[in-house]
Amino acid sequence: MKHKQFRIGKLVLPYVMILPAVALLAVFTFYPLFNMVYLSFFKYDMLTPKKFVGWDNYYQLFFVNIDFIAALKNTVFYTLGVIVFMISLALIFALWLQRSTWVNAIVQRFMFLPHICAMLTVAMVFQWLMDDRGLFNAVLSVFNLPALRWLNSSHTALLSILIVAIWKGVGYYALILLSSVKSIPPELLEAADLDDAGKLRTFFKITLPMLSPQLFFLLITITINSFKVFDAVRIMTGGGPGNSSDVLVFYIYRQAFNYSKYGLSAAAGTILLLILLVMTVIYFRILGKRVHYQ
Amino acid sequence: MYEYKKPNKKLLKVKKIVFAVISTFFKLLVCVIFAFPFLWMISTSFKTLYESLLYPPTLLPQNFTVDAYISLFEQVHLERYILNSLIILVSVTLLQVLIMVPAAYAFAKYNFKMKGVLFGAVMVAFMVPTQITFVSVFQMFSKMQLLDTLLPQIIPCICNAFGIFLLRQNFMQIPEELLESARLDEAGELKIMLKIMLPMSKSTLVTIMLLSMIGTWNSYFWPLVMTLHDSVRPITIAIQSLRNLEGGLEWPIIMAGNVILVLPVLILFFLASKKIIEAMAYRGVK
Amino acid sequence: MGEIVFKNICKSFGETKVIEDLNLTIRDGEFTVLVGASGCGKTTLLRMIAGIGPATSGELYIDGEEISDVPPGKRGIAMVFQNYAIYPTMTVKGNIEFGLKNRKIPKAERETLIAEVAETVGLTPYLKRKPSELSGGQRQRVALARAMVKKPKVFLLDEPLSNLDAKLRVSMRTELIELHHRLKTTFVYVTHDQTEAMSMADTIVLMDRGKIQQMASPMEIYNDPNNVFTAQFIGTPPMNIQKMKDGKHQLGYRAEKVQLSETKPDLLYARKAVVLTREMLGSETIYKLQLEEADDGSGKTAVMAKTPNLMFEVDSRVYIGVDRKDLYYFDEEGRRLRGDGISPSLEKMTAEGGES
Repeated sequence: MKHKQFRIGKLVLPYVMILPAVALLAVFTFYPLFNMVYLSFFKYDMLTPKKFVGWDNYYQLFFVNIDFIAALKNTVFYTLGVIVFMISLALIFALWLQRSTWVNAIVQRFMFLPHICAMLTVAMVFQWLMDDRGLFNAVLSVFNLPALRWLNSSHTALLSILIVAIWKGVGYYALILLSSVKSIPPELLEAADLDDAGKLRTFFKITLPMLSPQLFFLLITITINSFKVFDAVRIMTGGGPGNSSDVLVFYIYRQAFNYSKYGLSAAAGTILLLILLVMTVIYFRILGKRVHYQ
Repeated sequence: MYEYKKPNKKLLKVKKIVFAVISTFFKLLVCVIFAFPFLWMISTSFKTLYESLLYPPTLLPQNFTVDAYISLFEQVHLERYILNSLIILVSVTLLQVLIMVPAAYAFAKYNFKMKGVLFGAVMVAFMVPTQITFVSVFQMFSKMQLLDTLLPQIIPCICNAFGIFLLRQNFMQIPEELLESARLDEAGELKIMLKIMLPMSKSTLVTIMLLSMIGTWNSYFWPLVMTLHDSVRPITIAIQSLRNLEGGLEWPIIMAGNVILVLPVLILFFLASKKIIEAMAYRGVK
Repeated sequence: MGEIVFKNICKSFGETKVIEDLNLTIRDGEFTVLVGASGCGKTTLLRMIAGIGPATSGELYIDGEEISDVPPGKRGIAMVFQNYAIYPTMTVKGNIEFGLKNRKIPKAERETLIAEVAETVGLTPYLKRKPSELSGGQRQRVALARAMVKKPKVFLLDEPLSNLDAKLRVSMRTELIELHHRLKTTFVYVTHDQTEAMSMADTIVLMDRGKIQQMASPMEIYNDPNNVFTAQFIGTPPMNIQKMKDGKHQLGYRAEKVQLSETKPDLLYARKAVVLTREMLGSETIYKLQLEEADDGSGKTAVMAKTPNLMFEVDSRVYIGVDRKDLYYFDEEGRRLRGDGISPSLEKMTAEGGES
């Protein structure tokens, strides 16, 4: 008898151990996920009963409300900008700071600082720096350069947010790349030296290909994170001026909380989900091939 | 020997020194670029409102004052929000550990039906951003009329999918023989988990807790969408709404609030910068 | 041509001095093996020749030309690394071609060179593969081909066989020897394995703690060691070294020269012993024997014997004996005593042994 109990206990035990975790994920991640896709086919304001509208919400997004397309465009532009500048800058910093000296260690720590601080703080401080009467314009005027309108101009608002995002994140990504740079076997570079390869050639033919898996991983992470941009936009510009710095998540948020259009919000959320899904699939596909050499 | 012109040794040396000087100068510049906004924040927080509006601005406060900090506590009552933040932070971190450890242990050391599917679900959950789930979760708590409690900021955050993944990886590296010999010594599963697995994964657990604490303290989006009343809002939301004070943008107060928000993280960073950098980099590389 | 001369070479890493005032000439066209325990400075010397770990001070000549300021790629040398250091991102062909491309050799010429070298090392069917799809032995060949295709004056090999399994190691050894015979260029080979050194070298340079202990041909270094270190490093099992009765001089004899018998042999060196263990290797047997009393009176001591004779059981009592010509004498510092250095009193002490 006792042994039988022991056996059943052993059978059930693992399920008991994972139950809280799995239940929480089911309720707070998977149910909302499906609920969102489901809601995207309804008109719903939380007060009156929901009404099935078919693809109408999607039709609204793409063909009626021009601001969704604007937000989507801005998000893509922002994401591309972050990818290009973040990765190239992080790579430059990683190569520049790769030797283990105390100076480099200090520089790395300074660069890393913004990453652990709240986006709220970073956004507010830069809003203050980029104020029309802020420090940046004061510095520009010292050099006799015309003042910029930074966040208050529809030409530069999104760009300003991009600058802030790069300032906050580049130290972190540089650090990740740095550890990959350091993991390249030194013999490879010595062998290249013996093969009479110049510095540039060594970089393009050996260092860069060796970093490619990590670079690719960063590419995907940065893409996904950039598509989720919200905090800085909400705090610094509120999507403006006009909707020149509006982005997807901010659009989803507004439709739900400002206008109570939960169906429309869900439809926009579903689009975001699809975009992230495609990104992730590409990621795992290419990761399956391991990018370069293994 | 191949065609090769010997370089002028002296010239090489001069070149090297010039490069070193330029490089060090730029490194200094980088430090300034990344530290300056923080210094500017601190400097502004000690200025009077009048001085903060001067243009061109003064670099350091001419009339050093802590008025901004005083009004943060006397008018805004920031301490209430800080308390909210701390309650959320401690609950989330502790509950996460409580849920994460058994789940990671089961996924690492037991074989059971559906294990692959369930673990796959955990990994998928890790990829799903909160920016997609927040509307439904909000509706849920709204229907349960719990929006005026701290629960919407705690309960949905206590299953750390990434933590389960990391901890499981760590548990899997602990040799099976160790567990078997413990079982032969008639140690119960709970005892094995607490006395063998946990002490051997202390570093990873601390890493996960550190990340989760910093993340919760800094979080902005989730509390923004999960709260309707000031009574349950954390420090970030309070600081954000400092912009809506009556007298327009009062930068000294806003900056003072941010100094308070950043300070604990900065102190933590100076105490354990190596550990934090490791933890963060680990998340990136995994 | 490829004679390498080290002159007053010093090397330190930070505070620690690895090599101090070393002088060495590696002869042109020879297969020279630098051998020693890890940390003895052998790899450091190799990296100096390659130019990837320059000396702290001193001069280094290849064919009479001082090359300290010549970059690695211009020295006319090629190196095979311990872990091969094949570029994992390039194909086998890409690996072999890389150095040629850097030297701007025209395409047609490159193709012929690659085809030639690939044929020599047997890589022709694998040229399009990535290194990750090759076995350990094949990777080794890629590393070799990459070195050979440059037609260097000097080949540097840093423990190239240590990552291969035992069987492959022995066959690669033979191949490397053949390769050297064919190319007739200078080979400098680093290893910690004395068997490898003995079987491959024209000249062995035995190093210890940054100093050259002995430089000689394998036969000479085996038969005529300069000091206790050399005597014990070369040969398996290592030479038996016993302190003599005066507590200063040391007496040595190789295990393979020990004769075992049931009765006391009529040899200069004869001692009573008990068989501790017996390892049969087939053609030979290795005995570990215990002497009741060491010559210097310090108690029990063990010696090794290697003989075709396998008739002695464990625990049986035997006599060990060594012929006069097979005995080596060393002074207090471990330096070898030869000819007149061996005084009659020393031999008398040997004959008397522990008996007194």
